[in-house]
Amino acid sequence: MSTSNGTLAVRTKDVWKIYPQEPNPVKAVRGVSLEIESGDFVAMAGPSGSGKTTVLNLLGGLTRPTEGSIWIGGDEITSMPDKALARLRLERIGFVFQAYNLLPVLSAMENAEFTLLLRGVPASERHERVRALFDEMGLEGLEDRFPGKLSGGQQQRVAVARAVVGEPALVLADEPTANLDSVASSALLDIMERLNREHGTTFVFSTHDPRVMARARRLITLVDGEISTDVRQNHETSGA
Amino acid sequence: MRFRILFKLAARSVGRNARRSALTAAAMVLGLALLIFSRSLAEGAHEQWVTSAVRMGSGHVAIQEPSYLVSGKLEHRIGAKAYQRALDAVAAVAGDRVVAHAPRLTVTGLASSASSALPVRVEGVDPDGERIFSDLDEKVVDGRYLQPDDRLHAYIGVELARRLGLRVGSRFVLTAQSASGDVEGQLVRVAGIFKTAIPEMDEGLIHIPIETAREWLGTPGAITTHAVLLESSRDTDGVVEELQDRLAGDSDLRVLGWREASPELDSALRMDDYGDYVFHSILFAIVALAIMNAVMMSVLGRRREFGVLQALGLTGAETGWVVFGEGLFLTVASGAVGMALGFLFTWVFFRDGLDFSGIAESESAWASAGGIVDPVIVPIFHSSQVLLSLYFTLIIGTLASIYPAMRASKLDVAEAMKFDQ
Repeated sequence: MSTSNGTLAVRTKDVWKIYPQEPNPVKAVRGVSLEIESGDFVAMAGPSGSGKTTVLNLLGGLTRPTEGSIWIGGDEITSMPDKALARLRLERIGFVFQAYNLLPVLSAMENAEFTLLLRGVPASERHERVRALFDEMGLEGLEDRFPGKLSGGQQQRVAVARAVVGEPALVLADEPTANLDSVASSALLDIMERLNREHGTTFVFSTHDPRVMARARRLITLVDGEISTDVRQNHETSGA
Repeated sequence: MRFRILFKLAARSVGRNARRSALTAAAMVLGLALLIFSRSLAEGAHEQWVTSAVRMGSGHVAIQEPSYLVSGKLEHRIGAKAYQRALDAVAAVAGDRVVAHAPRLTVTGLASSASSALPVRVEGVDPDGERIFSDLDEKVVDGRYLQPDDRLHAYIGVELARRLGLRVGSRFVLTAQSASGDVEGQLVRVAGIFKTAIPEMDEGLIHIPIETAREWLGTPGAITTHAVLLESSRDTDGVVEELQDRLAGDSDLRVLGWREASPELDSALRMDDYGDYVFHSILFAIVALAIMNAVMMSVLGRRREFGVLQALGLTGAETGWVVFGEGLFLTVASGAVGMALGFLFTWVFFRDGLDFSGIAESESAWASAGGIVDPVIVPIFHSSQVLLSLYFTLIIGTLASIYPAMRASKLDVAEAMKFDQ
């Protein structure tokens, strides 16, 4: 069942990312052009060094392309000023990182509500939204724990909660299951699929894991910074 | 800019990373504590030095005839009527700040014995007043200090006695130019011999009763200096100002603070202050580098954390403010702790004084510019000095946080996210 609605969440046109390095510059991304519809559930696969993380960083505005253009929900971000780019990340993009990257000095609740805090959402509303998400994601009762006191799976679920709590149009996840065991990976994917299905959030995630790739509705394979294959996988997503 | 959120985040980062914060703050805490300790010792030593010098000299405040400071001549003395006006003015401003005041009639002359003759400074003093004012009576090594009913007695330095071959009871002649311009002699007898460890006093100072001096020099009721001793040298400027106001328009009298009346002491203290400033500048520089290093290490070790902040929607500048805020909180907290520690350490261990006599046992080693610093130095806290130390520490802490904040603000987010993965 697809939740794509025909509008574009992401569009890139001939994007290159070249790192100046002597004697040979590193071409991490080579002429990537793609379009991702809103509400899609897309996996990016490929061997290490194929450019998956760089593409995600480019889509999230964390780094700028050497050449080419990127649009997020219709806004061209390549030449967007830093301040506007930060605002776009805050309001329209959620990030999930392989190493969870929760802020160590904040509790689970404080981490999850962080983007809402930056947006100026009142405390009562922040807490209400995070608690609802935590209940949905099996994190109830862990609100006051600090990252160091959470398991890897729990930390990654808090990171997902942080990414989606502001209801961004796009969530970029860089190998979100890489540090999790198969049970925790499957549980996390269930949550991501449910959020995608129920909230229409577009997910783009990178992975090495064939089981994770199999659950994506669209699988883009990168090799040496280029799109090697781009296939739509017709299957029903599993329920939560 | 969301300053409230940024500083809240910085405060949490400082508060919830107790060990990291403590390590970062340690340099600042120790630096400020050491600074307060050393400043209080320096203040204590200075106060003792000044007190010693002014008690043996012309007081914290001296009232003289306007030309006397430059000429030092008897012709520039204060007459009996003007002296009464000076006494009235001192009595009017006395209050708690004035500990004692005493008249002096000073003249330079020659002391002659059967064996030799030496140049001396003869001070006619009021024996009772002088006992309160000066501690010269406590420096007696033979005989006694002057008494009110003494007439032809003299209290002389130990080195002068040795050179003139005088002992207690010996007679010798003082010769000086009197008010009339003639050279007049006065026979006196040694009542006591003192030792101050200040060479110029031990070799050349003689106290005689002021009435004897007045008769000898033909200056009835006159003085050359009325010396005022205050509770603290820090009261000097205020008392000088008040006396100047009261004596404004009195062309016979001039009010001087000790810095003006004893320029050699002022210069010596300024030299000492300069040494302190150099020492404290070095200390400040070390503290500043330590703070910058600690904050810098803390920033470099948290690149990914700052990368996450920017990925989540903070701008580079806002990330810099978080780091700056952390530095600011650490500085304020360290400043408060360092100040408390400095006070506590100094008060608990050294409130009765720190004994430096082991460094140099000879008393003369502690004598300089007309005063003697007691080798047991009692620290003194002056709020202005403490606030100045705190002020400088806060500035240094703040400045030392700027560079790390700039580094954090210019972070390459994608690179930072890879860092240490």
